[in-house]
Amino acid sequence: MAPETVYDALLSHEAMALFESSGGGVFTPLAALPAWCDLLWQTRGERFVRLSEKSPFLENFLLEAEQFWTSRAPGARNSGYWVEQDSSGNEFPLEASALWLARKPVLLIRHLPGAFQEQQQVFQSARDALLTHERLVRETEKKEILLHCIIHDLSQPLTSMRSCFELLLGTQLAPDAAKFAMTGRRESQRQERMIRGLLEAFAADLAGQQSPSQGQALSADLISCARRSVEQFAPAFTERGIRLVLAPYWDFATGARVVGDAPRVDRIFGNLLDNALRYSPKGSTVTVGLEDGGATLRAFVDDEGPGLPKDSSRADLFALFGQGKDRPGKVGLGLYFCKMTVERWGGEIGAENRAEGGSRFWFRLPRAAREASQSPASPRVAKAPAVPVSLDAGTKPIVKRLRIVVADDDEISRDLVIETLRARGHSVTGVGDGAAAVAAFDRLKPEVLLVDQHMPEMDGLDVARAIRQKEKRSGAARAVLIGWSGNSSAEDERRAKEAGMDALVGKPFEPSTLFQLIEQPVPAFQPETVSSVAAPPEDLRTHLARMTAGNDKLARKLVTGFLADFPRRLSTIERAVSSKDADELASAAHSLRGAFSIFDAQKSVVAARNLEAMGRGRRFEGATEEFRALSDDLSRLERELRALFPQLSSPTKSQLRRSRSRPGRKR
Amino acid sequence: MLGSFSVGKTSLVRRFVESIFDEKYHTTIGVKVDKKVVPVDRQEVALILWDIHGEDVFQKMRMTYLRGMSGYLLVIDPTRRQTLEDALALQARVQETMGPLPWILVLNKCDRIAEWDIDLERIRSFERSGQAVVRTSAKTGEGVEETFSRLAQAMLHSPC
Repeated sequence: MAPETVYDALLSHEAMALFESSGGGVFTPLAALPAWCDLLWQTRGERFVRLSEKSPFLENFLLEAEQFWTSRAPGARNSGYWVEQDSSGNEFPLEASALWLARKPVLLIRHLPGAFQEQQQVFQSARDALLTHERLVRETEKKEILLHCIIHDLSQPLTSMRSCFELLLGTQLAPDAAKFAMTGRRESQRQERMIRGLLEAFAADLAGQQSPSQGQALSADLISCARRSVEQFAPAFTERGIRLVLAPYWDFATGARVVGDAPRVDRIFGNLLDNALRYSPKGSTVTVGLEDGGATLRAFVDDEGPGLPKDSSRADLFALFGQGKDRPGKVGLGLYFCKMTVERWGGEIGAENRAEGGSRFWFRLPRAAREASQSPASPRVAKAPAVPVSLDAGTKPIVKRLRIVVADDDEISRDLVIETLRARGHSVTGVGDGAAAVAAFDRLKPEVLLVDQHMPEMDGLDVARAIRQKEKRSGAARAVLIGWSGNSSAEDERRAKEAGMDALVGKPFEPSTLFQLIEQPVPAFQPETVSSVAAPPEDLRTHLARMTAGNDKLARKLVTGFLADFPRRLSTIERAVSSKDADELASAAHSLRGAFSIFDAQKSVVAARNLEAMGRGRRFEGATEEFRALSDDLSRLERELRALFPQLSSPTKSQLRRSRSRPGRKR
Repeated sequence: MLGSFSVGKTSLVRRFVESIFDEKYHTTIGVKVDKKVVPVDRQEVALILWDIHGEDVFQKMRMTYLRGMSGYLLVIDPTRRQTLEDALALQARVQETMGPLPWILVLNKCDRIAEWDIDLERIRSFERSGQAVVRTSAKTGEGVEETFSRLAQAMLHSPC
């Protein structure tokens, strides 16, 4: 029978089942029920339906519906979607609503496959995207940790090598030997910068943080980079019987500045030359050249080797961990780094076989805007390469006695710096926290402030901001503000610069570096010129003498302070591990690391760093083992220090107790 | 079945009720109710399983769904550490609304244990405190039957 009114049509709609509540859990169909009702609940022929017995979901919802009908509230009460299954396993997405219709308490059940499917698709896409995001974040974290481990491992021997060259240059050397030592020092410094640059490049790539616009602010002289790279690689090529030449055409009337920064452009040339060196036969020639492309400059490295394999694609050549087919290769990072860096600067990289034989590797970079190359804010690395740190700086007499404030909550680190600077002839005041540093700035008007980055309440960045504001308000001369930190990543440097610091150095650092830094004007924030110097692998006595510039009294004071202090700090860490106090663990491990970093205790540094990371990440898995490693290595250090200074008395039991019972500072 | 989205609640139910597993993730909208009879202490118990959608920014769980509940499985995906935090926050809300009921913390996806990213020491401390914790894999079926049976037994013997 055809429906007579819209109401009848609505009631006979297949999507809806309409019931009137008759009370006591009994429902009366208001119209013929759709087929799915019978499929799900076998309602055929039933004049009264006990819905709560048909479906556990409805049993639950009807309690809510009864409340709604009793309250006579306006509107409707909806159940939200639920899915019922018939005996064949077919699924029916349904939604129930309790409402008042023509003064009757009515239950409307709708079968909504279309709307349900639409919502499911939307949520599915959104949740898939969330899962992908979570996975990428986890992978990024893992890669960053791995990279930091690699960089750390690579840096350790390198800084030792550099320190050895420094020490060599501090002795009387024959002219030839001095030349070799200087070359070694220059190259190890260069490599350190490259490692740092590589880490930054990878970190930026992984995080996707560096936008092309940031790259636009950089500029490098492509000619200088090419020339420097050729000079650097010439000996290696000569040794292998390969000629390395610069193409004759170089003189671009418009200059050769491109978007990019010089150390990384050097690195790109270096990787391409390294590649050419590996594949070039003896007696062949490798040519480095440039071509003017108008808005871009193209650099190339031509070799006379076997050329690229026929089946190789650009994607394969420049892929991460891609290695040459049947060729001697490394891990496959070099060309990937080149591609990633060039593309970030808006350039392009490629390789092709030359008609005359051999291959050409090239990269193209946009020309830098004139103002970019002249901007005082642009990094100075291209114009002024890093100043080599020399022991000479520590032995030259001071030109001016400086008023210096040293702020560090770690007593041992603070004393080391204070004593070193006083021995040098400066007037030094030490303070233990950020607020005291600002107060000392007001009171003493120092020319230089050395501020630890991580202090409780008011950290180094807060201090820098406060001092720069005060200077601005009063019109006072700008003090030199130097931050120091156990972690000096690119991000730390950026934040330090933003806060108004002139430089950021890593702990520990050598006296010569410190003197050079504070006794020469610091023109602009330039972390590469002031990078920290890790201790070389030497015996503890030599190391301590070097770190204290030969001041035995200071060394003794530092050792005494450390021996008295470290049991308490260790015990704080132990307590934090056992009570799973993440904040306390991070704070105590950080603090302890600062205390013993001057003793060249690498194992302890690693263990404390791991514990600090665990605290920051609120993860305690493996913390007990790390603590044990830390405790064992510090026991070894204690034995060695006591052997060095046998006149230092062993702590009495009561001293130890007192030391252990002092509460640890909380950051 | 309670827990965040994509931890495997629906997969566990399907494995338990229908003995099937689908590798592809199908998000649950609303609620799906299933039933399975299990033997507990020489008697047959009908378990009515409410597979409730996972909580996230798009869907919040209606606490009215929990009315009449006798116990619950709190499912997490140990390869996603946040699912543990979310599950524990949800458990606190459930306990506040429903009072103390038998529940089991289910560490699903134990076939991917190499990818687990949760603090196992924390899990061990739950176990030491007497909280029931099980490891399951809807994919392989490991621990699934036992988990539902254990919950059924706990519910049957619960004074709540």
